[in-house]
Amino acid sequence: MAACVNDRGRPVDANEDPLRDVRLADVPLDEEVILVRMDMAGDDLEPLLERGIVPGCRVCPVRHSPAGGPTVYRVDGSLVALRRETASCLCVRSALEAAGVLDPN
Amino acid sequence: MTSREASPVLLGGTRSGPDTSPDRASAARPRVALVGPPNAGKSTLFNRLTGLRQKVANYPGVTVERKSGFHRTAYGLVDVVDLPGIHGLSPRSLDQIVTRDVLLGHAEGEPGPDAVILVLDATRLESHLMVAEPILALGLPSLVVLTMADELGRRKGQVTERGLSEQLGVEVALVNARAGQGLEKIERFLEALYTGGEEVRACPVVVAAEAEVGPRGRPLPVVDVFAARRARAQALGQAAHFQAPTPSKLTERLDSVFLHRVLGPLCFLAVVVVVFQSIFAWATPLMDGTEAVIATSGEWLAVRLPDTWIRSLVIDGVWLGVGSVVVFLPQILILFFFLGILEDSGYMARAAVIADRMMHRVGLQGQSFLPLLSAYACAVPAILAARTVEDERDRLATIFVAPFMTCSARLPVYALLIAAFIPERPLLGPVLGQRSAVLLGLYALGFLAAVGTAAILKRSLLRGKPSPFVMELPPYRLPTVKSIVARLLDRARVFLRRAGRIILAVAVALWVLAQIPQAPGGGPPPVADSALGAMGKVIEPVIEPLGFDWRIGIGLVTSLAAREVIVGTLGTIYGVEDEDETSLELQEALRQDLDLGSAVALMVFFVFALQCMSTVAVMRRETGGWRWPILQFSYMLLLAYVTAWGANALL
Repeated sequence: MAACVNDRGRPVDANEDPLRDVRLADVPLDEEVILVRMDMAGDDLEPLLERGIVPGCRVCPVRHSPAGGPTVYRVDGSLVALRRETASCLCVRSALEAAGVLDPN
Repeated sequence: MTSREASPVLLGGTRSGPDTSPDRASAARPRVALVGPPNAGKSTLFNRLTGLRQKVANYPGVTVERKSGFHRTAYGLVDVVDLPGIHGLSPRSLDQIVTRDVLLGHAEGEPGPDAVILVLDATRLESHLMVAEPILALGLPSLVVLTMADELGRRKGQVTERGLSEQLGVEVALVNARAGQGLEKIERFLEALYTGGEEVRACPVVVAAEAEVGPRGRPLPVVDVFAARRARAQALGQAAHFQAPTPSKLTERLDSVFLHRVLGPLCFLAVVVVVFQSIFAWATPLMDGTEAVIATSGEWLAVRLPDTWIRSLVIDGVWLGVGSVVVFLPQILILFFFLGILEDSGYMARAAVIADRMMHRVGLQGQSFLPLLSAYACAVPAILAARTVEDERDRLATIFVAPFMTCSARLPVYALLIAAFIPERPLLGPVLGQRSAVLLGLYALGFLAAVGTAAILKRSLLRGKPSPFVMELPPYRLPTVKSIVARLLDRARVFLRRAGRIILAVAVALWVLAQIPQAPGGGPPPVADSALGAMGKVIEPVIEPLGFDWRIGIGLVTSLAAREVIVGTLGTIYGVEDEDETSLELQEALRQDLDLGSAVALMVFFVFALQCMSTVAVMRRETGGWRWPILQFSYMLLLAYVTAWGANALL
């Protein structure tokens, strides 16, 4: 994966609120998080967006596949497998922390 | 997003505009298109509506399959077109472009549908409603079908048809397409295409079109478009009292085995072995049976044909030529039977996840694994199966390397040459003999060539940013007999039509070349004097460095039709030349013309060379031009020539 850029093509500043940014790739299994930002170029975004991986959605890592292969995530009732390099471009926040702030429900 | 006027309901075929439908008989019928995301149960519904009377073709110029059939209503027939599974209408993939063109009536030779049946999975309603929005916004009369009603109920979810229907302004049907429950609304909708009933209406909500333009008319960033779409989908879900089902227990339990650290790869290996075993061991009796049927029917036919050139053309040209392809049909059907079960059950996506790490290393994706596995049976179905690879560059790379996998047509050639030139000696005690080791080596050589070529391609011609691997894992489901049968019929047709045509042409051409010039007393000339023999002699200087003479040259030319044809050709050549009643065994004859070096060279040549016109033909279709097949053929020929030369020089 090329260097992470945000959805407007700007390179991601590593210092951008570092405390609150957690990458989806680093979320432990079975911990539900909310997607807040997707640091990827436009073309790469669409396959994810079309499958409901959209800022604001709830994502929960459910299973690592063998030998460091893609990880399976539950997204709005569907199961989606993502490679680590893709998941590390997705910024998330804990669902508990974000409750009432980001959750449209 | 463009919207268009809702087309009025057509009564008895007053379709406007020139009708260029390929099927004239159906020109007057109302046409309905099935649209929806993958794994939403679209094909099950399509099979349920049309039975097995389906037609599969390609959309002109592209490789997207067009599945169509018809449904009988009380008022008349309705044409049903099954569009490919899509995640939206953006021109990101070929499937989405074709779907959009068909729905808008822009597809070549196909008027737009009169109505759309939008098939969504009720258990994943909110994410599927996101896909639904741009389709409903086209303004076509629509029916929304929510499938998997049974699963939704079982997993304690719920949705009300009426709530969603009121929000969308179109009819909504909650169905279980497998068991055929809840299909009455679909029936009424299809009937209303004839009666002009109020069931057929377009979604009046065209909010999507406006919502996607930001302030001052600038288009919104794509993330915002989808975020807005998701918010609307959730609002719709709430209005429809949608309650998301609990995660499927069955899927969780099976995934904990199939994606398990240890068990997962073991199951994967077991699946690979079973598929492999089935296409070789279990298919053999069926293939032998087919061969016997072809031979017997050929004899039966031969007796009834006049003993002239016609008999020779029909039996030696057409019958044997086409027979050489048909014999692979059982193997291909068995292969697709397994692939069908793997795909319909949901395991295929897990296999892709398991294989992804391995395939990623050579620059391919997990989805490429099963097409490449299929290529051990035959490259033709493998190239067709590569359609499941979403990324275009990866798909091209997959179909480019598929012919390197040792297809079963190479086996008869290897078997003959190994038996003739490799003495049987134990290498690893009773486990591995020298002959098996050579055969395994030939398989390995092909595999290495495929992997190496893929790696080279992805670093050169098909270089590009690796696209993110986003693999949806559908819930596990029991495959239905109907969908498996439909798939098998469909694949059998595609294989026979595509491979059959080219083999027929080549077989007839070879027969003609072997007949001219006619011998003085009439009848075919000795092979050496025929046009075919002349061709062998023309290429002899080129293949001499490999240790081949003109006879092998003829074999190489005829094997262009299909690799195993060389065995028959060599038999004929040596048989014809040998005046003695007790003709030499083919193996012995070969031993006189080839030494160990040139025999190994011939095997190596067959590992690499693209001696298969069916593959070339399918390749041309699947890549939409001659560029790729010509490149592939030249590359493989060059590789074959150089390695064969090396083998001959070294041994």
